[in-house]
Amino acid sequence: MKSAIRNPFMNIDIVVSTILKFTGAFLAFNLVLGIVAYVVLAERKVLGYIQGRLGPNRVGPWGLFQPFADLFKFIFKEDIIPDKSTRFLYFLAPLIAVTCALLPVVVYPFGPTVDLSFIPFVGKYLGKFSLVLAKLDIGLLFILGITSIGVYSIALAGWSSNNKYSLMGGLRASAQLISYELSLGLALIGVILQSGTLDLYSIVNQQSGHLGITGWNIFWAQPLGFIIYLISAFAETNRVPFDLPEAETELVAGFHTEYSALKFALFFMAEYVNMFTVSMLATTLFLGGWNGPGINWLYGHGYMLVGGLLGLVYFLSKVCVFLFLYIWIRGTLPRFRFDQLMNFGWKFLLPVALLNIVITATLKITPIYDFVSGLLKFVGINN
Amino acid sequence: MFTTLFFFLFAGMAIGCAVSVIYQRNPLYSAISLVGVFLSLACLYVTLAAPFIAAVQVIVYAGAIMVLVVFVIMLLNVEEEEHRITKVKYLLPTAILLGILLLAQIGYIITQVKSDKNIKLAESPVGVTESIGTGLFTKYLLPFEITSLLLLMAIVGAMSLARRSATLTPTTRIIPGTQVLPKYLVDPKAKYDTTAVESETTEEVEKVLGIKGKPEE
Repeated sequence: MKSAIRNPFMNIDIVVSTILKFTGAFLAFNLVLGIVAYVVLAERKVLGYIQGRLGPNRVGPWGLFQPFADLFKFIFKEDIIPDKSTRFLYFLAPLIAVTCALLPVVVYPFGPTVDLSFIPFVGKYLGKFSLVLAKLDIGLLFILGITSIGVYSIALAGWSSNNKYSLMGGLRASAQLISYELSLGLALIGVILQSGTLDLYSIVNQQSGHLGITGWNIFWAQPLGFIIYLISAFAETNRVPFDLPEAETELVAGFHTEYSALKFALFFMAEYVNMFTVSMLATTLFLGGWNGPGINWLYGHGYMLVGGLLGLVYFLSKVCVFLFLYIWIRGTLPRFRFDQLMNFGWKFLLPVALLNIVITATLKITPIYDFVSGLLKFVGINN
Repeated sequence: MFTTLFFFLFAGMAIGCAVSVIYQRNPLYSAISLVGVFLSLACLYVTLAAPFIAAVQVIVYAGAIMVLVVFVIMLLNVEEEEHRITKVKYLLPTAILLGILLLAQIGYIITQVKSDKNIKLAESPVGVTESIGTGLFTKYLLPFEITSLLLLMAIVGAMSLARRSATLTPTTRIIPGTQVLPKYLVDPKAKYDTTAVESETTEEVEKVLGIKGKPEE
């Protein structure tokens, strides 16, 4: 028995639970990648409808197989490497981009606790678990750290291509990311102050109000923080109206001008995965994560599995609302000028974010907070 | 067992990257290797049950400071350093001496410091967000505030050095010659003033604009 504990590979429990963890990670990542592939299609379709076109509709019914066609096209295209590029960094940049985009997925709570112990054989290893890959105490900081590493991919891609447009795009993108990361981080501090924890799972748990809706942070705790977060998130993901790094009218395609074939596909994928993870963070922090009507009732009456799946559906549909917002805004708004972008970020968004922290801290220590929650309890809104 | 495995993995990565920082010819490769060192150190902090310090290590060092370093290297477009023999004679003996000192320290730690196998890292509150926050705002409040003041002073100092509002901006260096530029390009105070500025020397620019030019170093 003692040797079984010392050597983890001899212990069947550890082996099975490790395999199960890997399976869970595999499922979660493929879920995200699958949704991301269809977000690309959705973007082209919705943009088409906004502009009075049909969008892609040749591959499969309603163009549903278009993502696969795109993928195969990217794989079989010729991979062109510029002669005077810095080879190693040129290869490294797209890898950093995809890794940093996908890594935050592990800390997001996709859904509440489910009980799978009724399944034969593997059930006793699964038991009760929550739909989150890694329950980190510092989940929020983990996300911020990984995001800040992501800047390197863009800067290195721009530099190593040995192309003026790429370099300009890379510099612009890095400057933009660094500037808006501040407002983003400060918007998150409001939520952290509000909930008193960095653990995403407990932040979501705290937001289950009446009907699973009234407790959401966006409503009466952090409305300003939400708006700041949303604006900075658009800038962080280099999307319209902040898509200056790849402003095609000025910079051809920005930092990925020289990239082709699968390396370009990796950058492309990273952009959309970033959109997805940023939307997941917005959902988790401001829109109550997997909370929604019926979850509390289902849990109260013992339908844990149904409740868990419903939570997953709520979470993903909230994320999809954000993704639609991204596409909608791309079809609606024009692009900022670079000086406008910097002025807006540093002279408006940052002070407002600081103001938000002051307001949150004041509300937190003054009796106003207790008064409001007492009032809500009196009216019967809070549970 | 896994902890030991991860320790050797990340310690090896850290040392490998640190060696790479010194041996790379291209300064950008050195900078990227340094990022690697910081990331492996962060992973080591995680194995030591200090997740908060790990996160801060990544956010501050790898995510903020090194990005600026990489920025500067990219903007200056530093050429690869050519290999040359060091001319300073006392460098080699100093290096050997310091190396021996380091080895002696490692030897001392291995032989003299007793390890207590009963200590469990995960139970220690050090390195957890809450304990660090409490410490910073109670016991170490004064040093914390003084450090932030120091950083603020550095920011203000950098700003005042970089921005000389009453003198010519760096763009004016291109003015002497036969160039004709709108006034607002030269003087940030003259917003939307498109009066043409033509000049041959810096003195002429000063005269036209009525402001004091930066002395040429």
